[in-house]
Amino acid sequence: MKNSFDPKNPRVKKAYQKRILNSPAVLVLNLVIFIALLFGGSALLYLKESIGWTPIGFSVLPAMLIYWIKNALSYINIGKTDNFTDLISESLLLSLSENTTPANLIKILPKTRSGSFIMARFGLPIPFFNQIIEFLPAATEPIYAAAHDIREVTDSEEITGAVLTVAIISTLPNYELLLNQMKLTMADLHQGIIWFNYLNGMVKNTKKTIRSGGIARDFAFGYTPTLQRFAINLSERYSGSHTKVQQADHTKIINQIIDTFTHGGRQNVALVGAYGSGRSTIVNSLAETLMNADTKIPHSLKYRQIYSLDAPSLISAAKNDGELEYLIISILNEIYSAKNIILCLDNAHLFFEEGPGSVDIANLLVPVLEAGRIRIVLIMDDQKFLEISAKNPALANTLNKIVVKPADRTETLKILMDQVPFFEYQKNVIYTYKSLTEAYRLSEQYIHDVEMPGKAKLLLESAASYAINNVVTSESVQTAVEKSYGVKVKVASDEEDRAKLLNLESLIHDRMIDQVEAVSAVSNALRRAGAGVKNQSRPIGTFLFLGPTGVGKTELAKTLSEVYFGGEGNLIRLDMNEFVAASDVSRLIKDGASDSLSLTAQVMKQPFSVVLLDEIEKAHPSVLTTLLQVLDEGILRDEKNREISFRDSIIIATSNAGANEIRDKITAGEKINDFKEALIENLISSGEFKPEFLNRFDEICLFKPLSKEDLLQVLDLIIASTNKTLEPQKISVTVNPEAKQILIDKGYDPKMGARPMRRIVQKTVENIVAAAILSGHATPGSTLHITPNEIEIN
Amino acid sequence: MAITEMFFWWYSQGWQVFIAKIRTWLSGVTDFFSMDSLVRTLFKPYRQISAESATSTTSLDLKFHMFIDRLVSRLIGFISRLILLIIGTVIIILGSILSLILIILWPVIPLLPIVGIILSIAGVIL
Repeated sequence: MKNSFDPKNPRVKKAYQKRILNSPAVLVLNLVIFIALLFGGSALLYLKESIGWTPIGFSVLPAMLIYWIKNALSYINIGKTDNFTDLISESLLLSLSENTTPANLIKILPKTRSGSFIMARFGLPIPFFNQIIEFLPAATEPIYAAAHDIREVTDSEEITGAVLTVAIISTLPNYELLLNQMKLTMADLHQGIIWFNYLNGMVKNTKKTIRSGGIARDFAFGYTPTLQRFAINLSERYSGSHTKVQQADHTKIINQIIDTFTHGGRQNVALVGAYGSGRSTIVNSLAETLMNADTKIPHSLKYRQIYSLDAPSLISAAKNDGELEYLIISILNEIYSAKNIILCLDNAHLFFEEGPGSVDIANLLVPVLEAGRIRIVLIMDDQKFLEISAKNPALANTLNKIVVKPADRTETLKILMDQVPFFEYQKNVIYTYKSLTEAYRLSEQYIHDVEMPGKAKLLLESAASYAINNVVTSESVQTAVEKSYGVKVKVASDEEDRAKLLNLESLIHDRMIDQVEAVSAVSNALRRAGAGVKNQSRPIGTFLFLGPTGVGKTELAKTLSEVYFGGEGNLIRLDMNEFVAASDVSRLIKDGASDSLSLTAQVMKQPFSVVLLDEIEKAHPSVLTTLLQVLDEGILRDEKNREISFRDSIIIATSNAGANEIRDKITAGEKINDFKEALIENLISSGEFKPEFLNRFDEICLFKPLSKEDLLQVLDLIIASTNKTLEPQKISVTVNPEAKQILIDKGYDPKMGARPMRRIVQKTVENIVAAAILSGHATPGSTLHITPNEIEIN
Repeated sequence: MAITEMFFWWYSQGWQVFIAKIRTWLSGVTDFFSMDSLVRTLFKPYRQISAESATSTTSLDLKFHMFIDRLVSRLIGFISRLILLIIGTVIIILGSILSLILIILWPVIPLLPIVGIILSIAGVIL
C-alpha cells in the first residue's frame, strides 16, 4: 500500500484524457469530421469517383473515437491495488500532484464536490482550514494513510474529497478537542461521508432506466372510471421515483404484504401505527416495487396498481346515503373486475365512522374483506384500531394487522439524509448535519402527536424558515421549536439572557421581599436550565413552598413568570382546593377541546411556564398520585393518551401546612435550617404529605413570616405599584415615613403576612388619591404627599 | 497514443461493452412491447370487458350470452396482442440480426479505412 500520489498511474492519464477528449468541442469536431467524410465520400461515389471509398472508410475513425470516449472514458473505475492513486476519485486525480503539500490540499478540497459538501454540511469554512494549516503534518503521507482508514470505516468506494477533508482533520493533534468545541465528533464526520456517498449513489441511480411493463401492460386488466374519479393512483405517482425504504422493519413489512397478497386467504393488510411512523411510505414503496419489472415479486402481483381512496371527495359527490352506497359498490365492482387494483384506505377510520368527512361503510366492506376477492391495504393509528375493534369486532377479526413501529435514531437520520435534498430543492436552502441531529433530538422532546421519523421531518421543514444565509443550522431548528412550541431550548447565549440569569436573584427581589432561600433555589434551577446542564427528562425545577399565608409564596411564582418566562401570562395556576375528590383527576387531564383550562391542555398550549399548584395539601390523594409522574419524569398523559411534556416548566406547589410551627420557631429566634428537617418529618408523620410525594420535589423551601421591617419594604412595593397604576394620569403619590409607620402598625398581622397591608393601602392611600382626583386637587403632573393626619382621618 | 489505446480497447472491452448494450436494448424493446405479458395473457379477455362470471342461479340463456360475450372479448384481446407480438418480434429479430452482423464485423470495422483505400485503388464504382 503506497500512501503517495503516483502521477504515472494509468488512472491519472485516463482522467486527463477524459478531460480533454470528453469536452463538447472535441466531440462536436469528431462528429463534424465523421459526417463530412461519410457524405463527402458518398458524393464522390455518386459522381463516379472511386476515390470516394477512402473518406467513407476513414469516417469510421471519428465514429470509433466518439464511441470510445463515451464508453471507455465515461467512468474511471478504481484501480486493482490499494495504492492511494488507485483509490482516489476522478476529481482528485486531476487536482493532486507529486508535490502537493497539506497546505495545497486545503486549497484543492473545497473545489471538489464532496469536499465542499462536508465543509457546508458541518459548518467548516475555508478560514477554519486556513487556521489549522500550521498544525498539519509536514507531508501528505499521514493524511493519505488516514484517508485509507476512513474509506474503509465509511465503506466508501473511493477516496473522495470528503474522505480527504475528514482525513486532514483527523491528523490534527487533539482533533477531538477541536471537534468538541464545534459540538461534533469524528463519528459525525464519518456519517457526513456516508451521506455524500448515499446522495451520489442516488444521482447515479436516477440515470438507470426503469422498466415498467410496456405499452400492453394493462391489456388484460379492466377499466376503472369510477375509481379514478375518487382515488389517487399511487403507482403512477411513485413509479420510478427511487423511493428507498431506510428502515429494516419496513422492508420486512413490505415483504409481509407481498406474502399476504400472494397466498390465499384474506387479501388485506391493516398497517397500524402512529402518524409519522412511515405507514404511507411503506405503501408508496410497495406501489413502486410492484411497478418495477426488475424486482423479484410473484407474477400475480406484478404491475398491480395501488389506488388510495379519498373519503371526503366520495362523500361530497354523493347526494344521499343511497347514492354513496351505489358509488362504493360501483368502485368495489370495478376493482374486482379490473384484476390489477390494490385498494388503499388511508386514515381507514374515515370509512368506519359517521361524521364530517367520514362515512361508515363497514357493512359493505366486511363481506368484501372476508371474501378476500379484493386486495386492500388499510392505514390507521393504534387508537382508531382499538376503537374500531371495540365497535366492530367482526371487522377487526377480518384484518391482517401489521404494526408499524417508529424509527430509531439511526434510521431516522438515514431517512432525513434521504429526504433533505427534496426539502433543499423546494425551499432553496442547505441543511447542515447538526440540523438533522438537532431535529431528531428536539422533535423527540417536544412533538408528541407524531412519531419518528415524521416529527423530525416536520421540524426540519419548518426550520427552513429560520435559515441564516440559506443555511439551516441547529440554531435554526432550535428557533423553529421555540417559535412553534413556545419553549426555550437554546443555551443562553446572548448577553441579555446571560445577564438576566446571573442576576436573577436581584431581579426577583425587585418584586419580592426576603425569602432568600427560596429565591436562590429557583434561580439556581433556572441557571442550570439556561446553561444546558439540567436533566432533560425532568421539569426545569420542582419546588414545594411551605409557610404561612401572605409571605410571598404565590408572589414568587408570579415574579418568576414575569422575570424569566416572559410575563404573568406564562403562569399556569391551579387552585388545588378545587381538586378535593378522586374524580377530579379527570379534570386535570381533560382534552383541550372539552376543557381548555385543564392542566394538560394549558401546558400543552404553553409548555414554557411556571405551573403553580396552590394549596397542594387540599388536593385529594389520587390527584397527588397523578402528579407524581409529572414531578418525576416531567410527563403527564392526557385523556387521549397523549404525552404532555412538563420538561420546560417550573413546578411550584404551595402549602400552608406547618405554617404555625414555622411562625412559632421563627418567633422563638430559630433559623429555618435548624428546624427544616424536623418540620418535614412532622408533616410526614402527621399524614399531611406522603414521603414519596415530598421526595419528588427538587427542594422544599420554607417561607418565614414577615417582620415589621420586611413589611416596610412590602409597603414601598405596594405604593410603587399604585404609582404605576396612576402613571397614565401623570399623578404620583408619596407617603411620608410617619404615615408609613402608621400603615405598618395597622397592617401588621403575623398570621396573615402581607395581605392585610394591601387592604390597608387600598382603604387609605388609594381612597385619598381617588378623592383628590375627583375633587380636582390632583391634576396631571402633581404629586400627592400623604401625611399621618390624612391616614388617621381615613 | 490515445488512438492506440482506442484500438486496444476496441478489441478487448469495447466488444464486450457493445454486446452488453445490445442486450440492454433487446431487453428494453421486450419491455416496451410487453412481450412477456402478451404471451402470458394471449387469450385473456381484452380489458376484462364482460368479466362478469355466471353464478348457479344464472339462466342458461344468459350464461350462453356471457360465454359469447367473453369469447368476443378474448378474440379482440388475442388479435390486438398478436399484432403487437408480431411487430415486437419483427423489431427484435431485425435488431438481433443487425446486432449479430455488427458483432461479427466488429473486428473488421477499424480496418475499413484500408478497405476504402483498396476499393479506391481498384476503381470500384457503384
